[in-house]
Amino acid sequence: MSAEFATLVDYWFGDLAREEEAAFEEHLFGCDECTTKLAELVALGGAVRAAWREGAVRAVISRALLDAMKGEGLRLREYAMTPGGSVDCTIAATDDFVVSRLSAPLANVRRVDLVTDAGRFEDVPFDAAAGEVLMCPAPAALKRKGRFTLRVQLLAVDDAGERELGKYTFEHSPS
Amino acid sequence: MQDAALARAIAGSPDAIDAGAEAEFCRRFAPRVRLYGLRHLRDRHAAADLVQQVLMMALERLRAGKLRDPERLASFVLGMCRMVVVDLRRGTARRNGLLEEWLIPEEAVEDSEPRVFERDRLAACLEALSERERSIVIASFFEENENQKAEPGLSAGNVRVIRHRALGKLRACMEAA
Repeated sequence: MSAEFATLVDYWFGDLAREEEAAFEEHLFGCDECTTKLAELVALGGAVRAAWREGAVRAVISRALLDAMKGEGLRLREYAMTPGGSVDCTIAATDDFVVSRLSAPLANVRRVDLVTDAGRFEDVPFDAAAGEVLMCPAPAALKRKGRFTLRVQLLAVDDAGERELGKYTFEHSPS
Repeated sequence: MQDAALARAIAGSPDAIDAGAEAEFCRRFAPRVRLYGLRHLRDRHAAADLVQQVLMMALERLRAGKLRDPERLASFVLGMCRMVVVDLRRGTARRNGLLEEWLIPEEAVEDSEPRVFERDRLAACLEALSERERSIVIASFFEENENQKAEPGLSAGNVRVIRHRALGKLRACMEAA
């Protein structure tokens, strides 16, 4: 019998208990179908990693991922922004990523929405202790753009409604 | 051919190598050993080393008739994987000349042709995920180790649930293409 997809995911990311992992490996070594499914998951992971490294995807990221990217030697251009701040920014051909570090008063905040001219992005990851949101636009698309202004607003959202945490302005010029 | 029959075919020809059975053994188990290696060593080259080591040792023992219960061929190979991973981590495993010595098909050791995902489609499917889902999927595969257990504001259990949901959506999106 083939394993559930969730079991394959848990196995791959080390989320199975030791005994469960040992039992799953016994099963995997006798199961062609699970081998194929796991190989597809691994291939999908490789494609996601490649898409990210090549700048095809945007994301709001965690500090841990930022540190891992630095650890892999990726070239990052960082802009540290405070509420109400504005920055002249760019991305060079040699940059792998641009990371905007939006500081905001995030203590006791449950959900943060990020609003730009392009739309509203709900429930973005944020680090309340560090008081920052790490915004990472897709580098490949950014490198193709001319001069533009991007306005970003962070909103705290809870049962009582929403309140502004900060506004940030990016004056982008091609490098 | 069932695993037990395969083990018997390899063991049953002490004077003449059953090349067909051995090739089938390599074809069947190399992908499993490679995945095991990637999972535990998190390194493509180390996983290729593991495939070489395990196939070589397993064939050596199978030829010598050292597998007492042929029905347990898969467990026998898994046990070798576990043992060799320990050796590879210690840096004591044999490395050189194994392909030539054991006639293991080179294609069994190298990565098989990986499935190709269309980049724009994948980017669109990633974009269709929620912000947290996308962040966790990217971090999970980028770091691809067992440290990516929690994110600020989320427990390890939350991360696991979001990862399941996100990868299910991503897979469905890619298959719908």
